[in-house]
Amino acid sequence: MATTPTVQETNVKEDVWINTSCGGCYAQCGIRAHRVDGVIVELEGNPETPAGSGRICAKGTAQLMMLYDRYRVNYPVKRTNPEKGVGVDPKWERISWEEAYETIFEKFRNMKDPRGTYFQATTVQTSEIRFAVPAFMKAWGFKNYWVSGGGLWCGNGAHFMNGIMHAAWSIIPDWNYNKYTLYFGCSKGHGAGHAALQSAQWAADARARGMKAVVFDPFLSTQASKAHEWVPIRVGTDGAVALGMINVILNELGIWDAPYLKLKTNAPYLIQPDQHYKRDPETNKPLIWDPADGRAKVFDDPSIKDFALEGTYEVDGTTCTTAFQLLKEHVRVNYPVEKAENISSVPAATIRRIATEFAEAAEIGRTITIDGKEIPLRPAAAIFFRGSQGHVNSGWNCLEIDLLNHIVGAADVPGGSMGHGPPVSFGHPDTGKPETVPYACPDGLMTVKGWVYDHKPYPLREPAPPQRLDLQDLYPCSVYNAFTICTPEWEKYRKDFNIDYEPEIMINFGSNSVMTMANAEGVTENFLKQFDFVLSFNIYQNEFTEAVADIVLPDASFLERYTPCVTFPSTFCHPTGMDHWVWQIRQPVVEPLHERRDFNEVMLEIAKGLGVQDKYFQAINDLIPVRYGGEMDDEYKLDPSGDYSWQDISDRVLKDRLGPDKGLEALKKTGLEKWPTKVEEMYWRWFTPVRVPIYFEFFLESGKKLQKLLSSFGREDMADYRFYTPLAEWFPCPSHEEEDPSFDLWAFSWRPSFHTQSSTQNNPWLDEVSVNDPFVYLMQINATTGKSKGLKDNDMVWVENPDGNKIKGPVKLVEGMHPEHIGIAGCHGHWARGTPISKGKGQFFDDLINPDLAHTDSLTQGSDACAKVKIYKVAGR
Amino acid sequence: MPRYGFVIDLKRCYGCYSCQVACKAANFTPQGIDWARCVSAETGSFPTALRQMLPLVCQQCKEPACKEVCPTGATTQDENGIVLVDKNLCMGCKACIMACPYGARQTVGDWQTYFPDAEGQLDPYEAYAKKQWEKKNGYGMATKCDYCKDRVAEGRKPACVESCPAKARTFGDLEDPESEVSMLIRREYGFQLNPEFGTDPACFYLPPR
Amino acid sequence: MQLKAQTKWGWTIAAYLFLAGLGAGAYVTGVIADFAGEQWASVSKIGVALGFPCVLLGTAFLIADLGTPANFWRAYRKPGTSWVARGTIIISVFMVVGFIHIGLWLWPFGVLDDAEGARQFIGVVGAIFAFGTMIYTGILLGANRPIAFWSTALVPVLFLVSALSTGMMAVMLIATIDGAAHSGPISTLVRIDVVLLVLEIIVVAMYLQATHRVPESRAAARLVLAGSIAPLFWFGVAVLGLMVPLALELLGYYVLDGSSAATVIASISGMVGGLCLRQVVLSGGIQAPLRAGRFEFAIPNT
Repeated sequence: MATTPTVQETNVKEDVWINTSCGGCYAQCGIRAHRVDGVIVELEGNPETPAGSGRICAKGTAQLMMLYDRYRVNYPVKRTNPEKGVGVDPKWERISWEEAYETIFEKFRNMKDPRGTYFQATTVQTSEIRFAVPAFMKAWGFKNYWVSGGGLWCGNGAHFMNGIMHAAWSIIPDWNYNKYTLYFGCSKGHGAGHAALQSAQWAADARARGMKAVVFDPFLSTQASKAHEWVPIRVGTDGAVALGMINVILNELGIWDAPYLKLKTNAPYLIQPDQHYKRDPETNKPLIWDPADGRAKVFDDPSIKDFALEGTYEVDGTTCTTAFQLLKEHVRVNYPVEKAENISSVPAATIRRIATEFAEAAEIGRTITIDGKEIPLRPAAAIFFRGSQGHVNSGWNCLEIDLLNHIVGAADVPGGSMGHGPPVSFGHPDTGKPETVPYACPDGLMTVKGWVYDHKPYPLREPAPPQRLDLQDLYPCSVYNAFTICTPEWEKYRKDFNIDYEPEIMINFGSNSVMTMANAEGVTENFLKQFDFVLSFNIYQNEFTEAVADIVLPDASFLERYTPCVTFPSTFCHPTGMDHWVWQIRQPVVEPLHERRDFNEVMLEIAKGLGVQDKYFQAINDLIPVRYGGEMDDEYKLDPSGDYSWQDISDRVLKDRLGPDKGLEALKKTGLEKWPTKVEEMYWRWFTPVRVPIYFEFFLESGKKLQKLLSSFGREDMADYRFYTPLAEWFPCPSHEEEDPSFDLWAFSWRPSFHTQSSTQNNPWLDEVSVNDPFVYLMQINATTGKSKGLKDNDMVWVENPDGNKIKGPVKLVEGMHPEHIGIAGCHGHWARGTPISKGKGQFFDDLINPDLAHTDSLTQGSDACAKVKIYKVAGR
Repeated sequence: MPRYGFVIDLKRCYGCYSCQVACKAANFTPQGIDWARCVSAETGSFPTALRQMLPLVCQQCKEPACKEVCPTGATTQDENGIVLVDKNLCMGCKACIMACPYGARQTVGDWQTYFPDAEGQLDPYEAYAKKQWEKKNGYGMATKCDYCKDRVAEGRKPACVESCPAKARTFGDLEDPESEVSMLIRREYGFQLNPEFGTDPACFYLPPR
Repeated sequence: MQLKAQTKWGWTIAAYLFLAGLGAGAYVTGVIADFAGEQWASVSKIGVALGFPCVLLGTAFLIADLGTPANFWRAYRKPGTSWVARGTIIISVFMVVGFIHIGLWLWPFGVLDDAEGARQFIGVVGAIFAFGTMIYTGILLGANRPIAFWSTALVPVLFLVSALSTGMMAVMLIATIDGAAHSGPISTLVRIDVVLLVLEIIVVAMYLQATHRVPESRAAARLVLAGSIAPLFWFGVAVLGLMVPLALELLGYYVLDGSSAATVIASISGMVGGLCLRQVVLSGGIQAPLRAGRFEFAIPNT
C-alpha cells in the first residue's frame, strides 16, 4: 500500500484513499478506495482490518466496473408494458423521483390491508437489510419477509443447525491449529464468502503446514483440488456417510470425547421409553445418572461426581437409557457402513479409513494453553455448507456432519470446528457493546442471545396459525421457505389456512428472485405475479425487474452509501483464531452518481411520506439491542417524534456501540474500529456453561404440535413427521428415489469462487475471467460417462428433469466428476435486457428445480437443489 | 542492483483469479489484455484426477526469447532484470509474442469500452484508465507485465502480490540470498517453467503438492 | 489438455510468406534463364519482372499486419539482431536489386539489354538475396523455440522448395498466357517443376513425420491431418498444391504434348496450394505446454 499519495501530475486536484467495506459478497472485507479527481480508480484491501487483512479478491477489485457500469439503473423508471412475465420487455420509461414517490405513496395508502406487503431482499447486501427492512416492516405493520435465494443459494438447514450447535450462522475450521478437516460440499477457505480472504490465507498456511483435507463432493471442486483427498460422492448423501462414520467411531473404534459429551452436550441425559427426557418431578429438569453415587440427579446438580454416558438405568420405576447410548445403538443398527456405501457410492473401506483418520486426528485428551488458559486442543473438524444442505434432508444432513465434531469434542476449541463469528462477544472495551453470550435454557441447552432473524434457532418456534403469506409461522424450525409461494397451490394454501389478506405490494431490495429461488416460470407465475404493485431497488435491471417490477428505483451501490456497521452481527466477516474484532462502516467514496439514491435513505423517506416514521424510529431502537448486542443508551435512542436522516441514525448507532468519540465523522476517517479478541470469546465452548443436543428430544413435541396444527386445518399432508425425530436420520431426496432408469444422472450446481450468487455475472471483468476459466460456461460431465453417451467437448445437450423442465448448454468432458453427475455453475445464463454482458452465457440451473412440497425439507423447509436428469444431444447439433 | 523475482506457491494457490483482476485494475489494461493470467489444468483420471491453477506473470527471463527476436530494439532489460517494451520503438510485428514460451505478451488494436452499447463516450473510470494505459502502453504494440515497476518504485508490491488472498505470491530480490524469494526457492524446491527453452526466468514456482 | 494454435499470424502473414517466396522464386528462375541462351530470353524477362513487384506486394501485406504499419521503418533500427531485422535487410536489398534490374533492363530503360555481363552480375547478386528471402522466412518461424511445429530445419527447406516451385509456376503461367516464349523452355520448366513437386511432397512428408517428438507438434500434426485445418491441408496443399499440378504437368508433358491449358491450370492450382501451405504451417503454430509437476498447462491464445 502507498504511504504517500501518488501525485504525479500537476493538474491532479485531489488524490485520496478512503477506507470502507467491500460489498462484492457477504464477507464484507475492509477495503481502501483510491479517488482521483472524484473518480475511483483503484480498490485494494485494507491491511488494518482482520476482515480481509489487506487482500482483495477478483470480485472485490471488479466492483470498479460495477460502479461506473452504464447499464446500472441510474434513474427511476416505471413499467409501461402492463404484461408481466419471464422475458417480457417492461418498456421502461424514465420518471422523476417525485413521480416515483407519489406513485409509491399512493399505492401504499390505497392498500386494502398493510399486512399484504412483502419485503424481499438479497443476501449479498447483508448489512443493509438489517435496518430498513425490519424497521419498515414494523412501521408499516407486516410480517412477510424473504431473503431471495435463501432456501436455495443461502443457508437454511445449515444456519438452523449451526445456530443450535454453535450459536452461529455458520462454521469453519480453526485453520490455525487444525490438522485434519472433512469438507462436505463447501469451499470455506477457498473462495467462499466466509471471512473469505483471511480464511483463504489461513487455509493456505494450514495446507503448507501439512493439514490434511478430505473433500466429499460430486466433483473436483476448488476445495477438492487443493485437498489431500477427493472423495466423489452422490449429491445429498453426505449425512448417510457421516452417520456411517459416526457408527465406525463409536462402535468399531470406541473413540469419543467423554468429558465433552458429559459436560457440553445432552449425551448423558436419561431418556424414557417414550423417547422423552426423564425429568425430575420437582424441578422438571432432565436427569442424568451419576455412577459414583448410583442414582439419578438433575443435569446441573452440583453434587454430580460423574455422568454415565452409556447404559440403561431404572429411575422411579422407568427404564431409562442415556441419550448417548441411544445414538450409539441407533447408528450401529440403522447405519452400517455398507448401507452408507449403497446410498452414497463411497466405498465402505474408504468411510472406515476416513472415520478412523478423523477420530485419531482429534487427539482427544490433548490441551493447549492460550493466553494463560488451558483448553482442549482438537485439531480435527467436519465442515459443510451449500452442497450438503441443499436437499430434502437439509437440516439433518448438516447436523449429522456436525455431530462428528461433537463426538470428538472438536467444537469451538482450538483446531476444531468454529462457530463463525465467533458467537461470543464481550464487546468494545469502552462500551461493552456489542455484547452477546449464549445462555442455557432450563434444560441446559444453548440459546443464542442475539440473532440476525426474528426467531432464534432454539428454543423452537411454537407452530402457530399462520400470519405470513408464506405460512412460515406454521413450522417450528424454518429459516426460509419457498415451497408454498413458488407453487400453483399458493392461493389454495392461503385459503386453507384462513389467511384473511392478499398479497398486494412487494418491495424488493436488490434481489433477483426470478433466478435464485427455483425455475423462473414457477417463481414468476405462482409468486411474483400475485402482487398488484412491485417496487424494486436495484443497481441493475435484471430478470426480476423485467418480469414483474412496476417501479425500479436506482439504488446506490456499496461505494456510494453509508452503512453504520457491516461486520456485526458477526456472521461471515470475522476469521477464526486470536486476532481482532472489527467494527467496519461503509461510506460513500463518491457521491451517488446520476440520480441514484441509497436504499436506506429512500426507505426512510417512504416511512416519512407514509407518516409512520415514529414507528420506524422506534423499531430501530428495538432492533439494535437484539442484533447489535446490548441495550441502547437513552442518549442515543431515537426519539420517535423526532426527525432523523440516515446519517444521523448511523452516527447514533456508532456512538452508542463504540463510544461518544466514535461517531460517524470519526469512523469515516478510519473506516473501522478494532479491539483484540479474548480467548474466552474465540474459543468459548469451555468457558460458556451451555450444552448442545446430540439427541433432539425437543423435535418430538414440535412435530406433534405441528401435526396437530396442520390437521386442524385439514392439511396434515404438509409435512413429513418422520423428520421430527430425536435421533439423526438420513432421508432421501426425490432424486434418490427416481425410478425411471432413463433419468440416469444427478444434476447439481456449483459456484465459481469469483462469483456471488446472481449479482456478479454481468461484471465485464468477471465475465472475462469466466470465459478464461475452463468450467464456468460449460457443463461438466465425467469423461467416461460422456463418451458412453456419444458426447464430446462442446456438444450441445439438453438436460431434462422428470417434470420435463430442461436447460440447454455445451458439455465439457472431465475426469474430476462423479460418473453419475452433471455439474453446472449456478446463476448463469442470464436473459435480462439490463444484463447484456452476462446474457446467454452459461446455464440457468434453477430451471431444473421445483420447490414443491416433495422437494422441501419437512424440518427446516430448505429447498432441494438437486435433480435427477437425462441428457441428450440438441437435435441438429 | 537487485534482480526482481517472483515465487508463486502452487500449493497455496487455489485459483481465485484475484491476481488476474487486480493486475487488470492496477495496470488499466484494455479489454482482453491480462498480464497476470491464470490457466488451469486437469491430470489423471477419475477418481484420482487432480486439478491445478497456474498463475502466470511475465517471467522476466535473464535470456529473454522475446528480446532475441525483437527487430527494433524496443525490448530491453532494465537494471532490475525487468523486460520492458518501449512504445516508441515497437512496431507490432508480434515476433515476440510467438517467441515467448510463457504467453506473457499480448497486443491490442484499440481501446474498446466494456459496455458494448455505449455511445462513444467513456465513463469516468474508463476514460481515466485509457489515459493511464496510453501513458506507458499503446495500441498495436506488444504489451506485458513489468512486475508493477512503478508501484515497486513507490515502495508498494506488485498488485497481484498485494491482492492474493492465499499469499501464494512472494516478490523480492533473487540476487540477495537472504531474501524471502531466495529462501523459498532454495528450501521449497522452487523451479522455473520449461527450463528447456534456456530463458532462465525470474519467476519461480513451488510444487503444487 | 486442449492445446491451442496461435492466431496472431494469420492470412496476411501467409500472403506475405507466399508472395515473397513466389517473387524470389520467379526471380531466380529468370536469372538462371538469362544464362541459358537466347531462346530463354522472354522467360528470363518474365522471371525478373515478377520478382520485385511480387515481393513488394508481399511486403505490403507484412506491413499491413504490423500493429502500427506507419512505424514499419523501425525494423531497420537494429539490423542483424534478429531474424525479422535480418530478413528486412535481405528483402530490402533484394527489392532494390530487383527494382534496378527491371528499371535498367525492362522498363523504362533498356541499358542492360546489350550489357549481358552487367545484367548477369546484377542477376547473381539479386538471386543471392532472393535465396535469402526464400529461406529466411522459414528460419524466422524456426526461431520460435516454443513452437515445435515451426522450430525445425525442414521449414526453411520446405519454404525454399515451395518458393522455387511457385515462382517457376508463375513464370510458366505468364509465359504460356503471353505466348511470346518458346515452347521448349516452358516444357523444360515443367519438367524441372515436376522434380520440385516430387521433392516438395517428400519434404512435406518428412516434415509431418518429424512432428512426433513433442506433444505440441503432435497436436499440430493432428490439427493439420485430421483437425480444423485438415480441409485446408488436404484440399489446399495436397490436392491443389501438389497432386493437381503434378498430374497435369505429367499429363501435359507426356500425353497432351505441352498443352497450354494444362500448364495454366497446373500453375494456378499450384500457386493457390503454395499460399495454403504457408497458412497451414502458420495455423499449426502451437506453443509447448507449460509444465509443473504432473500438470501440463496450455497457453491461452494471446
